[in-house]
Amino acid sequence: MMWGKIKHWIEVRIGLEELINRHLRSFKTPKGAGFLSTLGFVAMIAFIVQVITGIMLLLYYVPHPDFAFQSVQTITNEIPYGWLFRLVHNIGSNIIIGVIIIHLLHVFLRVSYKKPREITWVSGCIMFFLVLLTSITGQLLPWNQTGFWQTTVTSTIPAFLPIIGEGISSYMRGGEFVTGITLSRYFSFHVVILPVIISVLIGLHVLMIRRQGISTSPSLEPESIETSNTEFKREDHPEGQPCFPNFSLKRLFMVMIYFVIVFFIMTFMQNIFLPPETNFPANPLMTPESIRPPWYFLAPYQLIKTIPNDILGITLIVIFSVGLMFWPFFDAKDAGRNIQKRPLLLSLALIVLALWAILTIWGMYS
Amino acid sequence: MIRYFIIPIVVLIGIISTGLSLASYRETFEREFMLSPWSIAKGETSACIQCHTSDDMGSEMHEITRQWKESWHAKNNISCHDCHGGAPEDASMSMMHQRGFKGSPQNIDIPEFCGTCHIAILDNFLVSGHGETFRNTGEGPNCTTCHGSHNVQQASMDIINEQLCSQCHTYERAKEMKQALFTVESKLNTINKNLNRLKLLGIATDNQEKSFFRNHAEFRALFHSIDVDAVRAKSSDYTQKLEIIEREISESFKQLAFRRNFSAYLFLIFIGLSIVVFLLLKSYEQK
Repeated sequence: MMWGKIKHWIEVRIGLEELINRHLRSFKTPKGAGFLSTLGFVAMIAFIVQVITGIMLLLYYVPHPDFAFQSVQTITNEIPYGWLFRLVHNIGSNIIIGVIIIHLLHVFLRVSYKKPREITWVSGCIMFFLVLLTSITGQLLPWNQTGFWQTTVTSTIPAFLPIIGEGISSYMRGGEFVTGITLSRYFSFHVVILPVIISVLIGLHVLMIRRQGISTSPSLEPESIETSNTEFKREDHPEGQPCFPNFSLKRLFMVMIYFVIVFFIMTFMQNIFLPPETNFPANPLMTPESIRPPWYFLAPYQLIKTIPNDILGITLIVIFSVGLMFWPFFDAKDAGRNIQKRPLLLSLALIVLALWAILTIWGMYS
Repeated sequence: MIRYFIIPIVVLIGIISTGLSLASYRETFEREFMLSPWSIAKGETSACIQCHTSDDMGSEMHEITRQWKESWHAKNNISCHDCHGGAPEDASMSMMHQRGFKGSPQNIDIPEFCGTCHIAILDNFLVSGHGETFRNTGEGPNCTTCHGSHNVQQASMDIINEQLCSQCHTYERAKEMKQALFTVESKLNTINKNLNRLKLLGIATDNQEKSFFRNHAEFRALFHSIDVDAVRAKSSDYTQKLEIIEREISESFKQLAFRRNFSAYLFLIFIGLSIVVFLLLKSYEQK
C-alpha cells in the first residue's frame, strides 16, 4: 500500500513507467544475444565499482612520497573495512581488464566492428588503452617497492621511440627519475583526467549502441543487412527479446558472476595481485629481486626484452595498437561477417592470440 | 588482402628509418638501463666499491667487497662509509681524513669502532669479563672474534658454540648462558617470524616492530655483560614484555581470519544472488 503510494508519487513526477517502456521494454535485443553479449555492460559496472571504491580510498589517501605508503597502510589496517575497499579496487582493476579483453575478442570474432559500428569499436579500443593507462598510473600511488620499480620500467619503455620517445618518458616522470613530481602527475591522471575521459567515451559508446542497436550474431543474420546499408538505419530486432527484463537479467547475472570472481579471489587468493614487495615502502636505492609488470603487460614487456632491436620491439607494439584501434577501416569492406567463412582473418586472430599467450607465459617465468 | 600488410609495413619502415637516422641512438645504454637493477648500479658508483673491485686491487680486497655484499649490514643498507667514514661519492676525496675517513681500526680500537652504532652493547661489553680481559691484555675476544668483520651476519644463539668458546675457556659457562637465554631468544625468534609473516600479508606492524626492536636490542645488550645471573634475573621481565607483542600479533592474525571469513561470506551471498537471478531469467525465457 505504502509502496504503491510512493510509486505513484514518483510516477506522476518522472513518468518512470513510460521511461522504462521506451528505453528498456521497447528496446529489443537480437536473437542469440547470449551472456557474452553482456560483457560491455559488465565492464561498465566494473568501472563504476572502481570509481566508488576509488573515491572511498581517496578520502584517506595522501598523494605525497612521505605519506602515501603510510596512508595506504592506514586505509588497510585502521579505517573500518578500508581493507575491503582497497582489495576490491585492487582485484577489480585486474578483473576489469580481463572483462574488456574478452569483450573485445568477442566483438572481433563476431566481426561486429564493421560498418556502421566503426565509431563504437574505435571508442571501445581507446577506452581499453585508457583503462590500461589508468592501471599504470594507479600502480605508483601506494608508493611501494613494486609500484615504484614497475613505474621506473614502464616509464622507460616509451623512450625507445625515436624523436618523441624521450619527451614522453620525461613527461611521464616529470624529470629524469621517478619522484614526488611523478606521483603528483600520476595521481592527477589516475583520479581525474583519465576517469573523466573514460566516462565521456562510455557515454559515446553507449549512445552508439542505443542508436544502432545491438549487433546480431553473424550466424543468425543474413549477410545483406550489414553490407547494403548506405544511410542510417537502426537495427530494431522486432523478433528479438525486450531488453527489460530478459536481457537485463542476463546482464545482472553476469554482474553477479563478476562479484563472485572478485570475492573468490579475495577469499582464496587475497594477495595474488599484491606481491610481498607491495608491503614495503618505495626505496629508490634498493631494487627488488625481480621487477615484473602486471599480467596484462607481460606480453609487450617480453616482446621488447626478446627482440634484439628496441626500436623494432616498440614499433611492433605501436603497429599492433594502431592496427587494432583502426581495424574496421583496414578490414575488407565487401567481406562478410561470418568469421568461419574468412579463414585468413580467423588465422590472423588466432596467431595474435597464441603469440600473446606465449609471450605472457614466457614473461611470467623469465 | 594487401591492406592487411601495407599499412603496418609503411609504419614499420617509417619508424625504423627515423630511428636509425638518429645515429647516436643509445640502444645498448637503454637496454642495460632498463634491465639492470638500478640500485646495484647506483651502489657500484660508490668510490669504495669501484676501487675495491677494480683490477688494480688484489684478490683479498675483492673479497672484502664480496663478503660485505652478503652481510647483514649490506641487507640493512649499511655501507662502507657508515663504518669507515670518508666520501664515497667523491673518488678523489674518498679517503681523506678531512672528509671523516677512519680507515681500518687497530685491534684494540675495534670495540669503540663497532660501538659507534652499537652503543649499549659496547657499554655492557666493556664491563664484562670479555671486555676487561681485552682492555687489560689487548688480547681475548672482541666484536669480530664472534661476529666476523665484513661478513657479519644476523646474530643468533648459534654463535655460542663449543668450537668458538673453547678457543679461550671451557664451554660449561657458555652453555649455562645459552640455557639462560633460551626462553627469551625463542620468543624473539617466533615474534620476528610472525611479524615478517604479517608484514608480507599487508598488516601494518610498525608499532610491534619498534617494541620488538627495543626489547631485542636491550636483551642482546644485556647478554654482552656475560653475566648469567643478570640474564636469568631479567628474563621474566623480557618474557612479559614480549608476551604483550605476542598478544597484538595474535589479534592481527584474528583480523586476517575475519577478513577471509567476511570475503567468503560475500562470495557466498553473490553465488546465491547469481543462482536467484539465473532462475528468474529462466522463468522469463519460458514465458
